[in-house]
Parts: sequence; structure tokens; C-alpha cells
Amino acid sequence: MNKLTSTADLDALYSKLQAAHDPDKKAIVICGGTGCLGGGAGVVIETFRKELAERNLNDEIEFRVTGCHGFCERGTLMVIRPEGIFYQRVKPKDVPDIIEQTVLGGKVIERLLYCDESNGKKPIVHEKDVPFYKKQMRLIFGMNGEIDPKVIEHYILHGGYQALAKVLTTMKPEDVIAEIKKSGLRGRGGGGFPTGRKWETCRNAPLGPDKVRYVICNADEGDPGAYMDRSLLEGNPHLVIEGMLIGAYAIGSPEGFVYVRHEYPLAVANAALAIEQAREAGLLGENILGSGFSFDIRISRGGGAFVCGESTALMASLEGQTGEPRAKYVHTVERGLYDSPSNLNNVETWANVPIIMGKGADWFASIGTENSKGTKVFSLVGKIRNTGLIEVPMGITIREILYGIGGGVPGGHRFKAVQTGGPSGGTIVVDEKGATQRVGEPTSAWTGTFLPESLLDLAVDFESLTEAGSMMGSGGMIVMDETSCMVDVARYFLTFLTEESCGKCLPCREGLRQMLAILDRICEGKGEHGDIELLEELSNVIMDTALCALGGTAPKPLLSTIRYFRDEYEAHIYDKKCPAGVCKALITFSIDPQACTGCGVCAKACPPDAIYTRTPAAGETAPKLRKGRELHDIDPDKCIKCGACFDACKFDAVVKE
Amino acid sequence: MPDETVTITIDGNEIEVEPDIYVLEAAERLGIWIPTLCNYRGLTPYGACRLCTVEATKGSRTRLVTSCNYPVSDGLVIRTDTERIRTARRILVELLCARHGKVGVIKQLAENVGVTKPRFGEGNEPCVLCGLCVRACAEMAKAYAIGFAQRGTERIVTTPYNEPSEACINCGACAKVCPTGAIYIEGADEIRHDEIMLGPNSAIAVPTMQAVPNVPALDPEQCLYFRRDGCGICAPNCPADAIDYSMQDEEVEVDCGTVVVATGFQTFDPSVAEQYGYGRFKNVMTSLEFERLSNAAGPTGGDILLHDGTKPESVAILHCVGSRDEHYHRYCSRVCCMYSLKFAHLVREKIGARVYELYIDMRAFGKGYEEFYDRVLREGALLIRGKGAEVTDFATNEAEQGKLIVKCEDTLAAVQRRIPVDMVILSVALEARSDAKEIERLFKLSSSEDGFFLERHPKLAPVETTTDGVFLAGCCQSPKDIPDTVAQGSAAAAQALSLILRGETTMSGACSEINEELCSGCRICMEVCTYNAISYDEEKKVCRVEPSLCKACGTCVAACPSGAIKGKHFTKEQILAEIEGVMQ
Repeated sequence: MNKLTSTADLDALYSKLQAAHDPDKKAIVICGGTGCLGGGAGVVIETFRKELAERNLNDEIEFRVTGCHGFCERGTLMVIRPEGIFYQRVKPKDVPDIIEQTVLGGKVIERLLYCDESNGKKPIVHEKDVPFYKKQMRLIFGMNGEIDPKVIEHYILHGGYQALAKVLTTMKPEDVIAEIKKSGLRGRGGGGFPTGRKWETCRNAPLGPDKVRYVICNADEGDPGAYMDRSLLEGNPHLVIEGMLIGAYAIGSPEGFVYVRHEYPLAVANAALAIEQAREAGLLGENILGSGFSFDIRISRGGGAFVCGESTALMASLEGQTGEPRAKYVHTVERGLYDSPSNLNNVETWANVPIIMGKGADWFASIGTENSKGTKVFSLVGKIRNTGLIEVPMGITIREILYGIGGGVPGGHRFKAVQTGGPSGGTIVVDEKGATQRVGEPTSAWTGTFLPESLLDLAVDFESLTEAGSMMGSGGMIVMDETSCMVDVARYFLTFLTEESCGKCLPCREGLRQMLAILDRICEGKGEHGDIELLEELSNVIMDTALCALGGTAPKPLLSTIRYFRDEYEAHIYDKKCPAGVCKALITFSIDPQACTGCGVCAKACPPDAIYTRTPAAGETAPKLRKGRELHDIDPDKCIKCGACFDACKFDAVVKE
Repeated sequence: MPDETVTITIDGNEIEVEPDIYVLEAAERLGIWIPTLCNYRGLTPYGACRLCTVEATKGSRTRLVTSCNYPVSDGLVIRTDTERIRTARRILVELLCARHGKVGVIKQLAENVGVTKPRFGEGNEPCVLCGLCVRACAEMAKAYAIGFAQRGTERIVTTPYNEPSEACINCGACAKVCPTGAIYIEGADEIRHDEIMLGPNSAIAVPTMQAVPNVPALDPEQCLYFRRDGCGICAPNCPADAIDYSMQDEEVEVDCGTVVVATGFQTFDPSVAEQYGYGRFKNVMTSLEFERLSNAAGPTGGDILLHDGTKPESVAILHCVGSRDEHYHRYCSRVCCMYSLKFAHLVREKIGARVYELYIDMRAFGKGYEEFYDRVLREGALLIRGKGAEVTDFATNEAEQGKLIVKCEDTLAAVQRRIPVDMVILSVALEARSDAKEIERLFKLSSSEDGFFLERHPKLAPVETTTDGVFLAGCCQSPKDIPDTVAQGSAAAAQALSLILRGETTMSGACSEINEELCSGCRICMEVCTYNAISYDEEKKVCRVEPSLCKACGTCVAACPSGAIKGKHFTKEQILAEIEGVMQ
């Protein structure tokens, strides 16, 4: 496309695209996000391309591959326009049917429709009626389902870069900062720091040796279970670029970086392509849209370290040094990258900026709560019916998210806890009188906490979550049911953090290692009296003395699980039992002679051949035992606790305790 | 104190400080102890060990910070000794003990913070990952040869790819700053006999214990500030502000009328006498090296040790190495017999080893010397009359295995001997310094065939030279021991003083005089004057005679091709008149 040298050029292009766009044209819109690709969407896409080409339908039907649609549980996802028919779990063998019956023939294929299990399994035809989407407010993510991230014209067609044009022509940098402040936008990486204030401080900070200010996008997203930033960068990179452009203008920065974690190749590829196309269009580089403002972006990849999500470690890594944090007694907005004022914001934060500048701060501030404006994207994962990415207005309750959007816990299991925020999480519990108890000092992005059943009516809001001892975090939401052992979960997170610790400071490197050793012992049935107190003692010192938030918040999941699921810890230590039936050393499998039919399926399933047969002992009844069969039993010395027999038995005769 | 200061309070004590320092330094000035491990004055703070954590209150907000890199600010309130801090320190030290509890520095730290029973075990890994070596290599040596590798509990300090580094400049800064001795220089603990300094030294050090002046001197060839534009840690740490890197060598011109030449001697280098194995065998050393070894201020604190640090059981002292020898020096070096006996006495007294003295003659000429010789004999030293011929390590029987064998002819017993010993000391000759010729040229001195400066008269004028006002003292004139040197020095000083104190000098009327108009500036007169009495005027381009130095020998008068020099009292007219008078 031709270079746009002025906002008039942009307007002209927009008009041209709008005129050429036929909303009634048949279109197949298919999700090409990493989630669906992982589920086989690549083959579906290729099949579609082949079929459409063979049938010579490329002029009649538009085929569009977009970014992540969000309902990841049901991938591969696609939508047929203009009707908005929503198909899920699409396989390559469905492709010819879809083209012939639905696209050309106008008929709906029932087996591909989403069925609402919470409403009598009623099939739903249109995307807008799917409950998963209905309850969301998809301000940022909405376009993911519409545009091809590899084509800049799609973004422009939907009004892209208009906000930038407005800012560059009608606003001074100080005005932009004022508007962002008015909107109440707070950092979405977990820290929740007021974005406008951060920009202002950076703008006013004295220059460093390079004589420039830098803007940086933190796309390191290391929390296990979180993938919102990935999907944003994959599916709508221009939204982030436009946000950074506006921010750079407001702060007075000529150079920006996007620091993407190494494990996101598609995000890197799409973002790089978007940057190149924006440059060609004159939207990045010198004299953008003829305004005199120049700005360009470079992508930097991480090296596979969770700690590089921390701002000072990220900047060290950007500079080419080892990703290790340093003391933040002088903030990075004042001295950050190359000792210069640097403004670091999360991907989602940047994505909010064009929307705010386009529709106005007042409109944005009307969404959400008193202290938390706008929407938040969560990745809803774990033991939940509808896993995926959701975008909800601040103030919605956790219960609404889990049940209204998430569809509740599947498989007939009971909800136990939900972890919000990441590996440095904690739990909140409310006691019988309804009083909330705070766990530790609220710090920053890295804390995530567990919320038990009693707290599900908390609103998603920076302050209310903090007050209740929890934290918003970066947006990961992991649901657990009664089959999750809280001790094991704490151990999982501690293992993760021990491996990801950079190792610079003593309390994190050695303290986490010792805590993990104690937890390992507990899960192996070697827990001792005093272990819980020792864990608490270590936790307090680590939180007090660690150099960065990785170590400083690492003990939080542990502390909150101790606090609210102490009974589970005590069962592990004193009774040498795992109530959830997870910790292998503490569970035993046995066969109940009252239920065993002697079918032998368990013995076939057992890998070490630990199941043997026997006749009922004297005085023992075996009511269900079939004629000619023998009772089965498990040899505890050979049993490896794999649970294969438990899964295989159809008569619930295998007991796990 | 610079103009701008801030006031902070630590544990209730107020202190006014510069605004650009960290809390730790302010606490040190107040004498308040805060434990540290990864901090070192002169290197940028790292904040890794967290031991220096304190409570900092700014306004209404209190938080825990590391004092080594937390900047001071006006009104800051610090508490170093709260229950929270004490608990934190104890747990941190317990965590350290888990891997390093048996290491000395950590043991001491545990004692200081009150950890008696570390609950996570006691390891003995020497490296505590403090990063001081990495920072020293980066900031002091600017070599960047080592760094951290791996992450978390796998973290180690190493070179890139664990390979020997080409960037390392062998400065030793890393070993110096390491608190636990985890980094060491290989071979640094060997006793190297072949260096007078006997061991590596720092780039800034007092050269020897008896150095005059007794202050450190900086060696620009070793100093990292000069080599690498790094370090620079000594100057700001000197409380007297005595270190100035910009100091240059000064050339000072002193106008003086008398000079005492006391430039000393050097020892004979026995490496040319290959039969002794000096330089080949590690435990063969010169007398001067042994002197340094046995000195209480030396590298071993006076312990007599072999190269590998063990005590010798037998020592051989070979006299006349380089002296009384037609291959090297024919003269006797005078002092060696007595100091060799002294060595024998020292060895017998300190370590009781067997001592063999291989001599040609025993020269015990001075006051108490003969008596000392008797005493050494009685102490059990074994004296063999016969110059040591060869030192070898080729063993011919079991008793000689691993020893140095000294071969000699025992002339009194008329046998040849092979004596196995652990250590061999060569009593080397005193010889004229290799730069003696330059001194000669400077002062127009003469020297004998052996290079020692010539006195005016061997019996009657031992401290004077042929040049008036230039005196000799000490071994530059000939080998002598300390009492004689002192005596000669006093004599030279006295003579010099008498010249100075006279204030005026009586000159004989007879002296030469140069007619400046006739002088062509050829300077032939300067060459022939043995009394250094003629100098050349650069501006006027003519020569001039110094009357106080001129001895009226008349050599210059005869030598001058222009006939420009007149010898007073011996002018042509006066000589002719004398002849006339005699003829009458």
C-alpha cells in the first residue's frame, strides 16, 4: 500500500476501504490463534483453502484467518458471516459440508453447533448468543474475531489508527497524559499503577546519557496459565502498536521496544509483520502522518526466563546483559533502560490506549468501578467447563465469571478454590462470621491468590481484591476442584519459582530451595511436627528480604494455602494422608470386595502387574462377585499408584484413599 | 564536607553526610555494625546477600531495604536492630550455613548474628556467590574474564564456556576481594627462592620492611589504574590523602660542592657457573636470598623452608662462589666467611639441621670473629676444607634419592666427597655494580680492574678520589663488612663536612687559566684533565677552568692546540726566566 503522509491520506484510505467493504459478502472467519492451531486448526485452514480453490469459490467467498477468538475449550472455532453462525470443534472432514451446506446452501450443521450444557444442552446457532461471549465486554478482544492480523488494511477498515491521527493533529502531549489520567486506566500487568501518572513521571524525568526516553511493551507473560498477552499480540498487534505510538507521543520518546518471551513465535512473527507494514504505511518511522513526530519499534526476544517479566530484569535483558533484577530504589521511569527514563507497560495496558483516546476518557471511566476502570482480560483455565480468554468489566463478581461465563466445574466435581494472578498467589478465606483476613502485604503484579467458595462474591476490582487479601494479578484464573491437593499445588508453584529464580539474592535462591525441600518431604509422607511453623518463618523472612517481587511474593501461595487449608497440611504431616488423593506417597489403592465383580479389567490395566486374584476369605462376603470369577486385590508393594485401575474399573470397586 | 549535605538518623543517632552516599557508609561512620558479605569498598554495591537489610522510614512509609545501595536523603530514619531485622539476619545466615556453614567467614558471621544451630545443615562450599570477583574483574581490572552462569540454584561463577580465559590479565584482583578464599592464585603459596622479594606482592606496597622511607610505593607496571584505567581503590581510601596518581618522576637539580659516592655493590649471579645448578634446582639459592628467607620480616616470617614449604634436614653452604676464582673474580669478597658462619649458626639454632660449610680458608679477621668461628664449630657445624665443585641431583644410591648432592674434595682428609643435602646456599661474591661505569664517567672517577672505584691513596687517602670534593664510602670502593662500611662512611662524611664548614678554601696560586678569545671550544683540555677541573660554557662556547679544582699539573696547557691555556706561575716567560736564572 502507498505511504500515508497525512491524516487526510488515512481518512481517504479509510473511506476507500469502507466503500469497498461489503458486509453482506459471504465470509468464513476461522481462528488461527496458537490455541486452535495446537488443536489442529492448521489442517482445517489448509483444507478450506484447497477446497475453495478447487471449487473456484475464492471470488465469491472471503476466507479470513484471524487471531484468537477466546473460547479455547471449543477450538477449532469459526464463524460464518454475514449470518454469524458459530461452529466449534471443527475437523478437516467437516470442511466440504461446511462449504456446501452452510456457506452455499444456507443450512446449519447441528453437530458443529455449541450446546449450552447449563441450559438443557440447547444448541446455539449464532455467536452473539453463546453465553460465553454474551456476558463479556470485548472492547479489546472484539476485533480478534474480525481482522486478519497479517493485513494492516483490516485494522484500518475497522477504524484503526484514527485515534493516533486525532492525537497527532489535535492534542498536545500534556493533553494526552491528562486524558489518560482522567480515564483512570491502571496497569494491566498486575501492578495496577495509574498509567497516566507513570507517563507523566517519565515525561518529566531528567534525561540520561543517551538523551532519549524509551517506551517498552512487556510481553514476557511468564505466569503459567496466562496467555492473554500472547493472543493480543498474535491477533491484533496493531492495537498495541497504536497504543505505543500514542504513549510515545505523550512521553516524548522516539524509540520503543516490544520484549516478547522466546516461547511465543507466532506473536513475534505477527508483531514483526505488523511493524513492517506500519512502517511501509508511514505509521512508524520519521514524520508520522506528516506530524513531525517520529517513532519506531524494535522487537526483542526473551531467552526463556520468567524473571525477565520483572521490569529491571527485562531492561537488563534488553540491553543484552543477563536478565537479573536490580534494586528499584530509583524507579525505572527515572533511570531504566540504558540509564534513561523508560516507560514500561503491559501489552493489555497499551491495547487500552487507542480505545480510550478514540472514545474518550469519560466513556472509559463509565465502565468498571470507582477505583478500577475499564475491562480486564482473564485466562480462565483449570477445572472449569469453558476454558478460554474472557474480557469482563471491572466490578463483575468472581462467581459470575466462574458460573455465568465459565459454566461451572465439570464432571460433577465440587468447586474448591480459584487462583487469581499467577504463581505468586495466595488464598483468601472468609471465616464463619464473614470477616476477611489479609495475607501479607499487597505488593505487585506477581501475587496471585486463592479464593475459596466463601469469597466468590468478591468483585473483580484492584482495591476490593487487595482488601480481601487477594490480588488482581496479570489475569490468570486457575480453577480447582476437590481433586486438587492444595499442598501439591503450593509445591507446584514453589517448584516453578525455584527453577525460575535468577539466583542473585540469597533469600530467594536458598530460601525457596529449602521451602521446596520441606514441601517435598511433606508430600512424601516425611513431614515433621514444626514443618508448618518453619515454612511460615522462612516465608516471612523471604518476603521481607528478597531483592525483587519474584522472591518477594513466592511464599504467598504457600502462606495462603496454609492459612486456609491448614487441615490438608496437617493431614499430610500427622496422618500421612492426602485428602484429595493426589500425593502418591500418601495414597493407597485397594479393591473393595463388596463391589468387585471379578471382571479383571483392572488387572489388565495395571502396568507393574500388581493386581492378583484370590478367593474370599473366611467370613468375607463378596456380593457382586460373578460366577466363576475370583476377587481381585492389589499388592501394595508392587503398586506404583498410577491410578490406571481406578480409571479402568466400571464398578467403583477401586478405592483411593 | 561539601556544601550540600543531608541529615539522616540511624538508631537514634543523627549524622550529616554528602547526599550521594549509601546508608551503609553512613552507618560505618557512626560505628554501627551492619553485617555484609557481598560488599567491598571501591566496587559498586550489588545487593545480593541481603544481610545488610535495615528498616528505612521516609515520611510515613517504612520498608526494608539493603543499606549497601539505598541512597541517603534528608530526614531519612534508619533502624538496624529491630526484632524483624534480627530475625531476618538469623534466617539468612542459616540459609548461608546450609551450603557454606563450615567456611571460616560464614562461621564467624553465624557467631556474630547468634546462629548456634543452623537448621538446614552445614555445607562447606567455598563460593558464596557474592559476585565480588565478577565485579572486581569488571571494574578494577576491566578484563571481564569471569561472570555468572546458569540460573537459580545452579548459579556458578565461571569463564565463558568454562574454558581458560584469554581475557584474564592475571592481576589477582578476584582472589584479593574473595571473602572466603574460593578463588586463589595457583602457585601463590610456593616459596620462590629465586626472587628477592620471594613471592608475589601487591602493586602498592612497602618494598621491604626496612625500606627507607618506610612508606608504600606504587608500581605503575602492575597497578591496574595505569594498566587498565581501572581500580583506583587506594587513593580515595587513604586517610591522609597521600596517593596522587598524577605524580611524575621529578628531576631535581641540586647545586652542591661535595659528593659522597656510596653506590654499593651487587652480588655475583651464579647462573653462569652452571655446575652449581642455580636456576635449575629449586633449593639452590644465593646468600642474599637466604638472608631474606631467614629474616623475620620476610615472606615466611623467618622460617627456613624449602621450595615446597617443608623444613630442610641438611644444608650445605658453599664459600667463594665467584670469589678467589680466576674464571670470575680473583679477589676475596671479605664478608662471606663470616656471614656463612652466621648462616650455619642460624640453621643450627632455628631448625637443628645438619650444616656443612665448604671453605677454602676461613677468614675471621675482625673483632670477635675468631671467637664466633670457634663457637660455630662447637655448635656442631661440619666444616670441610675444599671448595664445592658441583651440585647435582643425580642419585647413585638410596640415601641420595630426592636430595641435592654436593661434590667436593675434602683436602684435609684427602678424599672426594658426595654430600646429600636438602638445601644449598651459595656464598656469592660481592662485585662492582653493572652501572658503575656510568658513575665513573659522571664524576671522572677511576676504577681498578675489578670495577671498584679507586681511592686516591690505598693507605693514606682511603675515602678521597682524585677529584676534590668527591669522596668514596662503602662497597663501591671495595668489598667490606658493616663495621668497616660505617667507619668509612663516617670518614667520608667528616671530610665532606670539613670542606663545607670551611666556607672558604685556600687555593694554590698555581693553576691554569683559559683565554676565552683564543679558545676554540674544542674541549681537548676537558678530556685530558684528570681532576675534572675544566667545564664547557654552552652559551659562550668556550672552556673555563675551576681554580679550586685545578692542581696545576699543566697537562691542559700542553694539550691545547690553540695555545689558549696559560699555566699560572708556569707561563712561558716565567719558565724562560727560571732557565735564565739557572744558567747564570
